[in-house]
Amino acid sequence: MNFLDALTTAFALPFMGRALIVMLVLSVAAGVIGVFINLRGLEFLSDGLTHAVFPGLAAGFVLSGHNGVLIGALIAAAAATIVLTLMSNNKVASDATTAIVLTAMFSIGVIIVSASSGRAGGLEQLLFGHLLTVTDTEAITTVVVSLIALVLVLLTFRRQVFRAFDSVASAAAGYRRVVTELVLNVAIALVIVAASNAVGNLLVLAVLIVPGALSRLVSNRLGGLFVVAISAGLLASWIGLAAGFSISVNGGVDVPGGATVALTFIALYAIALIVRVIRKGANA
Amino acid sequence: MRNISTPALAIRGGALSYGTTTALTDIDITVMPGEAMALIGPNGSGKSTLLKGVLGLIPLVEGTMTFGESAGADTGIGYLPQTEHIDPEFPVSLKQVVMMGRYRKLGLFTFPGKADRHAVKKAIADVGLTNVANKRFGSLSGGQQQRGFLARALASEPGLLLLDEPFNGLDQPNRDALLQTIRELKAAGVGIIVTTHDLDLAREVCDTVLFVNGRQIAFGPKDDVLTLANLQEVFSDFQVEIDEHTVVVPGHEGH
Repeated sequence: MNFLDALTTAFALPFMGRALIVMLVLSVAAGVIGVFINLRGLEFLSDGLTHAVFPGLAAGFVLSGHNGVLIGALIAAAAATIVLTLMSNNKVASDATTAIVLTAMFSIGVIIVSASSGRAGGLEQLLFGHLLTVTDTEAITTVVVSLIALVLVLLTFRRQVFRAFDSVASAAAGYRRVVTELVLNVAIALVIVAASNAVGNLLVLAVLIVPGALSRLVSNRLGGLFVVAISAGLLASWIGLAAGFSISVNGGVDVPGGATVALTFIALYAIALIVRVIRKGANA
Repeated sequence: MRNISTPALAIRGGALSYGTTTALTDIDITVMPGEAMALIGPNGSGKSTLLKGVLGLIPLVEGTMTFGESAGADTGIGYLPQTEHIDPEFPVSLKQVVMMGRYRKLGLFTFPGKADRHAVKKAIADVGLTNVANKRFGSLSGGQQQRGFLARALASEPGLLLLDEPFNGLDQPNRDALLQTIRELKAAGVGIIVTTHDLDLAREVCDTVLFVNGRQIAFGPKDDVLTLANLQEVFSDFQVEIDEHTVVVPGHEGH
């Protein structure tokens, strides 16, 4: 099956359809939240949360397989989000201490998985996901977690915009800063949990950060950012899954769907960057 | 109608601190609706600390602070920052920035309505920026951005308005326009706190004066408080020059 056929017919297969639905919902949530990550400059915190979630994923997986991953990740995410929000609010955390703590968390996760011999291939699945072999239960929980994250941000949309633009004036207007920040950080953590399940813990950042960064290259208007970020996510999910499928079938190699989706995100970003440079050159 | 018998802001025996460092003590002030208070002191004397305390950004470690029903933490305080460190690339238009002043009045599930759009339009017109309303905020000049922030504060229809050095860097026409705006706000019953180095200005639009220098030096009606003795105490480290009309504190922008 060639790539163009894969773009349409491949999704008739149940496992491909399931993967696509998961990715589409995830893309909407990650698109909206990714714009706020970009506006607030929270890429490093997101990276940190991703690492912090890993031991939770690992412990959940070791204790009860794929169904335990979500619970473990949620517990780790909750703890890490609260600690990081409080630390950043009280200004006790430097980037260096954050990096040290979170790398430690990641190492602990790797050791937990490696130490349990009974789960062959577990580490690889946690790191790179198993998008094409998600079960119905996993698909539903991923979708639900993504939607909760999306609703959290939509309910606090105005104060998130205000906080991102002008933190002091938003506090003056009566929006408590710690509440605004905690809600966004929880939403980021939830998307990380959902995306870890789908594309794997190492590739989460592609889904979470690239659409927001890309939207800044393309649009100068607030509304435009969200439209571009969500559209880019939807497009990258579709093309990436089809590409992964096509390579696996034709090449006879087992390519993780998460990796091709992540690479498609990067490719879209590169295209946007090139177009912007050319347009700027044309204007100059 | 605003209730004009209760103060827009009252602080009794207030002390503010950053962590363990006490920054400002002995604050005893009342700002009535329709009254403007000039907040005067040398750099580092605690002026910004007091504003941050009123905004709830740093806690009151001693004393009490009460707000009138149309001002305070729940309804929001109008705030015009001195120099705002905003991201010049942030993708919002002037109109969107001014609409932020209306956010607190909007319900969770309600979109801005006619009244909100009208208030935003009027606030932008009041500061004379109608022709750049749709431009990206970061692309405006410094003076335009400051007037944009004033429009945002106006659009929020605050009961209490804090202006941090609003006259710095303004040319004469803009200065006159801002003075006129302050007079109109007072007439509408807004309580105002304005920090300034310009004593002329304090005389011109303010009703009361608060002198601070790490603690409250004096507070009261401007005619009682704007005395040479108080000025010497507040600016003891500075050379105060007095001519017929103006008192200029060297090192700061005077008019």
